[in-house]
Amino acid sequence: MNGAASSGKNKAWAVLRDNLWWNNPVFIQVLGICSTLAVTNNLTNTFIMTVGVSLATAFSSATLSAMNKAIPAKVRMITQVLVISFYVIIIDIVLRAYLPAVSKSLGPYVGLIITNCIIMGRAEAFARSNTPLLSFWDGLTSGIGYMAFLMGIAAVREFLGFGSLFGFKLAPPGFTPWTIMVMAPSAFFLVAMAMWALKSLQESMTAHKKGGKK
Amino acid sequence: MKKDSTSYTVWFTFVVSLFFVLLLAFANELTSGRVAANQRFAERSAILDSLGLKASGVAATDEAAALSAAALSAAAVQDASTSEAVDTVFDRSVSVITADSARFLLYKAVVDGEVRYAMGFSGAGLWGAILGVLTVNADVSRIRGLSIVAHNETPGLGGRITEAWFTDQFRDEQIPPAGIRVRQGSGAGDTNKDNGELDAVTGASLTSKSIEKIVNAQISVFRSLFEQGGLQ
Repeated sequence: MNGAASSGKNKAWAVLRDNLWWNNPVFIQVLGICSTLAVTNNLTNTFIMTVGVSLATAFSSATLSAMNKAIPAKVRMITQVLVISFYVIIIDIVLRAYLPAVSKSLGPYVGLIITNCIIMGRAEAFARSNTPLLSFWDGLTSGIGYMAFLMGIAAVREFLGFGSLFGFKLAPPGFTPWTIMVMAPSAFFLVAMAMWALKSLQESMTAHKKGGKK
Repeated sequence: MKKDSTSYTVWFTFVVSLFFVLLLAFANELTSGRVAANQRFAERSAILDSLGLKASGVAATDEAAALSAAALSAAAVQDASTSEAVDTVFDRSVSVITADSARFLLYKAVVDGEVRYAMGFSGAGLWGAILGVLTVNADVSRIRGLSIVAHNETPGLGGRITEAWFTDQFRDEQIPPAGIRVRQGSGAGDTNKDNGELDAVTGASLTSKSIEKIVNAQISVFRSLFEQGGLQ
């Protein structure tokens, strides 16, 4: 986290950089794993889900930050859950009214966005001690960091498991789908491998920055 | 009032809850008409699809089907004109017969020169109820179509029962005396229409078994109606 007395733009840039890479909510903070494993067998579902999470995190972080001074300590977490649920239900209502096919396709997962640790995590770690606008940005970029990682996993799982990407059949005709990719165990393996690869990359980048000192 | 006092805490919690709940109630009220229209569109489309009144696949010669070609394309995003077309086809081609099982209405339509009967069903899936529509021919010897309206199965696994390759297997499938069987097959769809067997969704054996039970239960309902002379 950037501790220097930086201007607004610098802080925003630092937040973006951290949430996308250095402090990514999924592969560094290890948050939101349940939905990562559940929803990534299909790119379209993943995309809608991650957009939903980004919006819910952004708006609830901003709202909570604005309410900061008024919230008594004893009901801090209850209030966070209330606000997050509110936005998640709004998303559910909007999908059901304007995108019914998507709503059906995602099914119960939309309502389960409330259980995504990232949202509560950002509310606790960031929104409590930052301005509403910056909290909105932090929430949005956390969601985008989450989206980038999940779309990567989903691309592998959907391609190998169904031979398609976003529903478009792309695999050559003789391709036998790897059914395990459609099921949860494959997500465990892929997420673990991706975390290992990305963290190693980060560490080598840090070592390189420090002049190659190991 | 001090921020950490009990009275402030109670007052604050009450006011905040009331505020957000009111907003939600308002949002719900605002969209309830649309949601209901979407629901109606989905149900009617499912009935038409199950009856075989759909552009793709069925070579129907009556003008109702020609209308339905425009009515039922994609159906991914529903707008007013599409739902009007669905209503037109529905009102024109489908007649409603009240049957003994009062929970679901019996629908009758003439498709491809043959009388077909459709009825909605609700059965237990793996995670929740599966609602759909099953259509049979007049003597309950063949299934003419199956469409799934709502379910709570796992997206990407059990949720694949809504995909065309799965439901198309049921079209024109022969019904054996003991009922149809959904079994582990190639996972790409059973093309043999005379064996009474269908491929399950790979990796979703429990949901597939539920479908088998639900469809067979609905076939029994149709059969008892047939024996009582309710299907004319």
